[in-house]
Amino acid sequence: MRKANLWKMLFFALVCSVLLVGCSDENGGDSEKGQKGSDKEIVIAVNENFISMDPHNTGDTNSNSVQSAMLEGLLGFDSDGQITTVLAEDYSVSENALEYTFKLNQGIKFHDGEEFNAEAVKVNIERIMKDESLRLNSRGFNLITSVDILGDYEIKVTLKTPYSAMLTRFSVAKMLSPKLIKENSDDIPKSPVGTGPFKFVEWVQGDHLTVERYDDYWKKGERVKKITYKPVPENGSRIAMLKTGEASVIYPLPAQNLQELEGNKDIIVSKIPSTIARYVSINTMKEPFDDVRIRQAFNYAVDKNAYIKVVNSGFGLPLDSVIPSKTLYYVKQDVYEQNIEKAKELLKEAGFENGFTAEIWGNTNSDTMKGMQFIQQQLKEIGVTVEIKSMEEGTLSDEIFGAQTPEEAKLQMWYVSWSSYASDVTNATKPLFHSESIPPNSANTAYYKNTEVDSWMNEANSTGDATKQAELYEKIQSTIYKDAPWIFLGVDELLVGTRSDIEGIYVDPTGGINVSDANFK
Amino acid sequence: MEFTSTVTEKKQVVPKKKYSPVREFWVNFKHQKTAFFASMFILLLIIIAIIGPSIAPYDPYKPDYDATLQGPSSEHILGTDEYGRDIFSRILVGTRITLSVSTSSVLLGAIVGTVLGIMSGYFGGWLDRIIMRSSDVMFAFPDLLLAIAIVAVLGPGLNNVIIAVSVFSVPSFARLVRGSTLEAKENTFVEAAKSMGAPHKRIMFKHIFPETVSSLIVFVTMRIGTAIIAASSLSFLGLGASPETPDWGAMLSMGRDYLGTASHVVMMPGIAIFLTVLAFNLVGDGLRDVLDPKTKNE
Amino acid sequence: MFQYILKRIIEMIPLLLVVSILTFLFIHMIPGDPARLVAGKDATLEDVNRVSIELGLDQPIWKQYVTFMGNLFKGDLGTSLKTGLPVSNMFADRFMPSIYLTLLSMGWALVIGLIIGTLSAVFKNKWPDHLGMVTAVSGISLPGFWLGLILIQIFSVQLGWFPTGGAEGWKSYVLPSITLGAGIMSMLARFTRSSLLETLKADFIRTGRAKGLKESSVLTKHALRNSLIPVVTIAGLQFGFLLGGSVVVETVFSFPGMGRLLIDSIAFRDYPVIQSALLLFSIEFILVNLIVDILYSTLNPKIQYE
Repeated sequence: MRKANLWKMLFFALVCSVLLVGCSDENGGDSEKGQKGSDKEIVIAVNENFISMDPHNTGDTNSNSVQSAMLEGLLGFDSDGQITTVLAEDYSVSENALEYTFKLNQGIKFHDGEEFNAEAVKVNIERIMKDESLRLNSRGFNLITSVDILGDYEIKVTLKTPYSAMLTRFSVAKMLSPKLIKENSDDIPKSPVGTGPFKFVEWVQGDHLTVERYDDYWKKGERVKKITYKPVPENGSRIAMLKTGEASVIYPLPAQNLQELEGNKDIIVSKIPSTIARYVSINTMKEPFDDVRIRQAFNYAVDKNAYIKVVNSGFGLPLDSVIPSKTLYYVKQDVYEQNIEKAKELLKEAGFENGFTAEIWGNTNSDTMKGMQFIQQQLKEIGVTVEIKSMEEGTLSDEIFGAQTPEEAKLQMWYVSWSSYASDVTNATKPLFHSESIPPNSANTAYYKNTEVDSWMNEANSTGDATKQAELYEKIQSTIYKDAPWIFLGVDELLVGTRSDIEGIYVDPTGGINVSDANFK
Repeated sequence: MEFTSTVTEKKQVVPKKKYSPVREFWVNFKHQKTAFFASMFILLLIIIAIIGPSIAPYDPYKPDYDATLQGPSSEHILGTDEYGRDIFSRILVGTRITLSVSTSSVLLGAIVGTVLGIMSGYFGGWLDRIIMRSSDVMFAFPDLLLAIAIVAVLGPGLNNVIIAVSVFSVPSFARLVRGSTLEAKENTFVEAAKSMGAPHKRIMFKHIFPETVSSLIVFVTMRIGTAIIAASSLSFLGLGASPETPDWGAMLSMGRDYLGTASHVVMMPGIAIFLTVLAFNLVGDGLRDVLDPKTKNE
Repeated sequence: MFQYILKRIIEMIPLLLVVSILTFLFIHMIPGDPARLVAGKDATLEDVNRVSIELGLDQPIWKQYVTFMGNLFKGDLGTSLKTGLPVSNMFADRFMPSIYLTLLSMGWALVIGLIIGTLSAVFKNKWPDHLGMVTAVSGISLPGFWLGLILIQIFSVQLGWFPTGGAEGWKSYVLPSITLGAGIMSMLARFTRSSLLETLKADFIRTGRAKGLKESSVLTKHALRNSLIPVVTIAGLQFGFLLGGSVVVETVFSFPGMGRLLIDSIAFRDYPVIQSALLLFSIEFILVNLIVDILYSTLNPKIQYE
């Protein structure tokens, strides 16, 4: 081959590359329009990729958000995260907390024309009951013994044992078209069909997911023609998109970038208290942390306001109970205010006047690393030297859940967070504090064991009586808070950035984005 | 067009004299103005790496929550970070970490890679095939996956960062050296040495190795820069130094969220990395012009 | 030559088999249990074990490997543990954007790099050389995500010329390919320069000059061609790297490419996705290397392959 040929080849390669990109442009050209608002499209940028569109098998907030534009459940959540009716007109729970009866709204059609009725609900519930690989199956639906159709628009679900989180589960379990379940179940994770205000258009993996207005939606109201969701993990890029108008809504809005938006009239920032609790769990079975005075000393050493200022860029609320304030049955506790003297005294009483060395574990997110450094700095004040070990998530979970017994556990402290639905107090307490939940069984990484608390939790779970539950959860909260199995830190405040020409979009305390009334002003 | 002057030019600049090799190198190197200046900068960095902790105006670990994210001022000449720590002090103290991690990892990778590359190019045949195909396999593993695996097996910490970064550079060095070896092998003096029955080891290291040095030096200097950046990405991934350590890469990565609001948190360590990498590259260029057996003056 | 190519391609098959076994062992060796991640934070051990059985993760590794390879020969890359979608489906949307980005970054880096390198060598120690090398050296010395973030600040936020990310339309490729190509362009420029300077001193060039050949013809006909060998090595290497996707650039620009998919999958220990992606990268890489080796012999007829 001659030199001229070589140059030709190089040139050819370059031309090819340009042409290829050119082609892709033509294909993608259509969806690029519309951002100007001509055919009214709203772009929403979120921080993570969507995982699955199967509403019965979803564990991440962002997938849930997108699904909620297309799909609806019998029940749902209001803007405070508490339970309301959606596809069900009304519901009742029997006294023994075993029977759930739903009256359904009439005249609702799925996007594919199928009718919504008791039969459709039965198909959905049975799908979750029978398929063990679905996430919701192990979360209540495997307790169902029978689904009985009482009329065209009335249905009764019976449980084998009481499960107090069941109403929350019915709100999470969104209804799919029975035709889709029966005929094309492989398509569920890719392109779901529901009853929601928007219907599925396309999902380009890793790039965007688009939904379009469903004109036969059963609830009245005007809404925008199209919504596109984009995963944009980089904080700076998300902010930039909001500023340039490429995105109309971004969630979460990174708090440290808030200052950039000051004085910008085109952007509205809203702040929502969340159900995300941040804390350090302390292994209460390991010396010297088995001494409650040490754990309390740690709590007194930490300035919660400084934590919120430094680690959360000033947004957040102190964690003043074992559950966040938006969670059902929350009762404010007597907060551990920072008091270095008292902390040192407690250490002295426990026999550690000169401090000691401890290890804190956490994942490799920059927020976690920031938080762990903060704890290190605060505990240094009372003479405790903290070594930070940040591990990749998979490794970390092996280290923690690989320990088969409390004696094997190497975990001392874990910087972590927990969130559950505001209406689901069971999930906000049982996996974290019940002795049955001690690793490897579940997430009680404080190795907290209190037989009294255990029995209260069991009792609360098996009654349908709300007053009784409230009473029990009050006792649970105050007992655990005093036992200090955690360093209680903060509750996140969610920040959402919206362009000022948009209305009808809000974020609930769990971080779900509600778009059912989304529109341009 | 006439280009002849470029070739002869240099001979006039440096008069031909009898010097010891070290002195000859020194005289020649001094004429490389930018490289010389850059090497002075690296020397300064080395001094800072040694005495940094004792000249830092503040404790690089001490937080001050009332003075977070402050811009440069007379009190904190490079400003403060998100915990109110003095950035200047952190950069001074971090110099040692940055320099030692990057150089040791590159040297480790270069030694292993060169030996493999020469053997591969010189012997050819099945040995070549095995070495080159295994380096293909190594390349096929994205760096980050290797890093995660290495750190997962060995645990987090700076020593393991050095190992991880050097592992990525081995195949690059091997391939590069093999390329030059293939070329050098065709040279008449190698053929001559072979026909005279010189042992392989001697041919490889006496005749072929010097032929690879010029590209090797350029590549080593480049890799020091790359290694600083690679180590910083590892720190960012949380697989490097403990996050409170004033490693430049970690500072840069942790600070990037503040680019829009307190840009100095990102700019300062970024500039430190940029200048250091720049200096290494400039010195490498200068060294090359002086050391290269082909371009150096007879 | 064709025999050589054929031989190399046949050689690929056992190599890929070895790669597939090694990667399989390797990714299962990394600590972490996808079943726990699939089951969720609040899952009980019972849930985790059930998920593990459901996903076939309770099987011995060799059995999992046989299943994977069996499906592979049937053209099935398996199903992602994380999303429940077919792996091929997840690749389909991301593969081409990664390829375009690679070609584009490589294309401009190669052209500009060769031009700067050649000019610098020809005008050694004159201003084009100084300017060229300052550009090139600065290009390698910038950390990728730093450059990317700064480009976004200037060209997207301040000037509004280009989108901040995504992969829709040619405009969204501009900033990522600049960021990705900058380092490579600089590297190629430096290698071209040093290599060309070396060849310009070689015997055959002197002979050419002595024979009275025009300097321009010496440069293009003899010097440039010979000095391209190390340049081709570096370009080939970089090309291979880029095909694997660039995590940093893809993250900064929210670019839907293979790099981000792989990183997400590694974090989740999504074995089928990691395994298939690595196999794909190996194939790409081996092909690129084959092309580089062929280019070698084209550039320097002295290097021959039997």
